[in-house]
Amino acid sequence: MDAIVVDRLSYRYQAVGREILKNISFKVAPGEIVALVGLSGCGKSTLCMCLGGIIPHYLGGMLDGQVLINGKDTKEYRVAQLALEVGLVFQDPDTQLFAPTVEDEIAFAPENLCLPVEEVATRVDNVLDTLGITSLRKTNPNHLSGGQKHLVAMGAVLALEPSILVLDEVIAQLDPVGKRIINEILVDLRRRGKTILIVEHDPEAVSIADRMLVLEEGRLIKDGETATVLEWWEFMLRHKYGCDNWTISGHATGPE
Amino acid sequence: MAYIDIENVSFCYPGQSRFVLRDINLRIYKEGVTAVTGANGSGKTTFSKLLIGLLKPVKGRIQLNGKLLSSLTLAQIGRQIGYVFQNPDKQLFCETVEEEIAFGVRNLGLPPERVTQKVREVMDYFELSRYAQAYPLSLSAGEKRRLALAAVFALEPGLLLLDEPTTGLDPYRKQLLGDYLDKLVAANRGVVVISHDQKFIDRYATRLLRLEDGQFIEE
Repeated sequence: MDAIVVDRLSYRYQAVGREILKNISFKVAPGEIVALVGLSGCGKSTLCMCLGGIIPHYLGGMLDGQVLINGKDTKEYRVAQLALEVGLVFQDPDTQLFAPTVEDEIAFAPENLCLPVEEVATRVDNVLDTLGITSLRKTNPNHLSGGQKHLVAMGAVLALEPSILVLDEVIAQLDPVGKRIINEILVDLRRRGKTILIVEHDPEAVSIADRMLVLEEGRLIKDGETATVLEWWEFMLRHKYGCDNWTISGHATGPE
Repeated sequence: MAYIDIENVSFCYPGQSRFVLRDINLRIYKEGVTAVTGANGSGKTTFSKLLIGLLKPVKGRIQLNGKLLSSLTLAQIGRQIGYVFQNPDKQLFCETVEEEIAFGVRNLGLPPERVTQKVREVMDYFELSRYAQAYPLSLSAGEKRRLALAAVFALEPGLLLLDEPTTGLDPYRKQLLGDYLDKLVAANRGVVVISHDQKFIDRYATRLLRLEDGQFIEE
């Protein structure tokens, strides 16, 4: 069974007249890392919210077509149920963080699953250690820097151990150490069969993906193997948009 | 003469013993693009908030254009330093994109026709014209970032202080931003960019400062 199935998905927000997503279809197999790229406003974050069920459950609007997460139709399952399958890390961590300390933030979701106390503590310790933020465990998330907040938001989702991870521009604000840690985590999660969708603009960040999708004004215009699509996307940026600041910088952390 | 003169400045947040910045001595000129880098949590954003008077040093002093920063109001500082927050949501508050850009320009006391012209110019440049009547907080993250930049650029301050300005920008819009910075520098304005975007820094920065253990290292 595919981890993600998006079938003829179209969506418009209640307040916006135009369609943001237009007849999008793709599938993601378990254990695949897929990168989603496209210019600002093309619908990347909207698609992420469709995968997490936030659309249509919280944001309403007009959704046509179907999104299946591990076979579950997002229209028929509550966001809390879907959160066990798909972990969504938002573009803006401030929308996600609310607990008084970093460790409370990471413990919140496992505690709500009624996991044993020891299991929650182990998960919190592991996540803090993996992300290299153990020294921040007693800190109020509001006092953290932008990059640190992204790591905590990521940790809060990792602690749930979902089978699918959706990261909406999480890597951009991280320093080189943070970027390396996240890259290593993603490669390790793939090894353990997790499915990952990453939205990023940086070619280095997307180069770990097995496959790459390109959105343009709400339409899926390319879907293929990463190296091929990266080259095509770079050509498009250069020749259609006159952009010479985006170059493929190798696959240092690429697929094994 | 330095546009901003920072003398022996130290800072720690209330109730905390750890100094985020220690005995900083630095001069920032109204020329070129100064890039500030450093690990997450090293104090880059704290430093920027000291420069615009949102935070006060616990030791030392900062002078802006020859005047003590502590003697100026936030509005007076804002006319000389244009600040773009790391998170544009903290900056946008108007009902429409057009109004967001016009707000600051109008407060400069410019005649209405000049305000309209300036708003159109930056909306065109940052490709926001199609969203002129849209609600700013309904835009995508990249569009909000462009709007926050446009609203500050329209004010034409002597120095621009941009906290992670490329986050959320696609490669094409990143290039538009960089080209705009080049134009500002050619017009004798200064730019300070806090960023982890190494490619952007390599391409546009003329001076590199790295913040490490509460102190700056000039590279």
